[in-house]
Amino acid sequence: MPKSDSDILFSISSAHVTLETKLLLKVGGRCAVTFKTVSGTLFHEMEQDLRRFLASLHPEFDLSFRAVTDRYGYLWIVLEGSRIEDLLAGLTAAGDIVEERGFSDQLLAAVFEFRCDLDASLQYLVYNFKRNNFYPFVPATGKSRDTEKEMKIMSAISEEVPFERDMSLWYPLWDLPLRSPG
Amino acid sequence: MSSSKKLPWQKRDSGLTARIIVSFAVLTMLYLVFLSVLVYVGVDFIAIAVIASLMILAQWYFSDKIVLWSTGAKLVTREQFPELHDLVERIVARNNLPKPRIAVVNSRIPNAFATGKSPKSAIVAVTSGLMDELETEELEGVIAHELAHIKNRDVLVLTLASLFSTVAWYLMNFSFYGGGYRGRSREGAGGVALIMIVAIVTWIVSFLIIRAISRYREFVADRDGAMMTGKPTKLANALLKISGTMKRIPSKDLREVEGMNAFFIIPALSGGTFSSIFSTHPPVEQRIKKLMEMEAAMS
Repeated sequence: MPKSDSDILFSISSAHVTLETKLLLKVGGRCAVTFKTVSGTLFHEMEQDLRRFLASLHPEFDLSFRAVTDRYGYLWIVLEGSRIEDLLAGLTAAGDIVEERGFSDQLLAAVFEFRCDLDASLQYLVYNFKRNNFYPFVPATGKSRDTEKEMKIMSAISEEVPFERDMSLWYPLWDLPLRSPG
Repeated sequence: MSSSKKLPWQKRDSGLTARIIVSFAVLTMLYLVFLSVLVYVGVDFIAIAVIASLMILAQWYFSDKIVLWSTGAKLVTREQFPELHDLVERIVARNNLPKPRIAVVNSRIPNAFATGKSPKSAIVAVTSGLMDELETEELEGVIAHELAHIKNRDVLVLTLASLFSTVAWYLMNFSFYGGGYRGRSREGAGGVALIMIVAIVTWIVSFLIIRAISRYREFVADRDGAMMTGKPTKLANALLKISGTMKRIPSKDLREVEGMNAFFIIPALSGGTFSSIFSTHPPVEQRIKKLMEMEAAMS
């Protein structure tokens, strides 16, 4: 039986230890899931339930959330929290809700933020829901990427988590709304 | 779509090597024709064996010149390329190696190779495209990789390995021709067919073994070259640039390509085992991975 998206996403909980020991990458305290919005009552209801659910997590989990719609028409559910377990629980629960309500085709990507201790750069692990695997994304200045850092991430964890081997599919997600509101 | 992207990169890798292989293949064909004529006019087997060994020795002796000629590489002096000479001298001085002769190929395709029978008479050649495209530290990485080939005597190792297949090939051919003349009526077609099959099998097996050795020596040269400069990531970066892999990493946003579902439904061809058995170089991804692991172990 193929692994579900949540199972694969949870593999970050072990991969982040490898990233920290090998590359000094710390969990940045932010992650997000993004999906394309559609018009219609069912989708609207799902979105409302999702927001209600995430808001209800707050006292129990160290987690806050906000929703941002970007210029491509994608809704981003951005989660903030200090503990990786809580971040992953919130992230996978959000993904599961979207899937359970029949909108799995709308799911695009989940993004997990890391911060490098050496140069304070922000580095990301992108989970592609269509390919069911991860790839690295390290934005540099402007619309360029730091491929050297991306290669380091690949060599550190490509055996540990399902990883995208075809680099021509490492599509960037520019202007991530994880730190700035869209 | 991904295959059309891959094409220029495949072309890149083959240019120089292909010209060298074609030159040596044509020479081998000439030898075979010449030796066949000798057999035809009735020169005896021992004389032919001596002549064949002399030819192999001559080819070994002139291999540098053949390589330079077939690739269009020109030896360059310090006055012509002072920075390139400085760069090579820095690496050899630090690692206590003899300085090789330096050649430049006037080609925009980034590539480099080393040739030479011994470390003292070796030549390192780079294309002008390589110097244009790479940063100094990356160029150092590539040249150190070539110097590692020289230090490890890879040219000798591969020549000896291919000598086995060449000699096997010659022997099969001449027993075929020789046997054909003296014993066509005695042995019949069965023996000849058997010899042909053995010859083909020998050649295919040695061809694959040579490629396996060659791939292994590439990894070793990557490792040793990276030790010489102490900067594995710079060589990894250079490999990314030379192979065109860097250009394959997209800059177009995921949200813009998401509508093109074909991208995600068709599993990407991973290259397959076929091409990896036949290729002389291991896949760039694997080489980069090993270099990055080295970097992690060093820091």
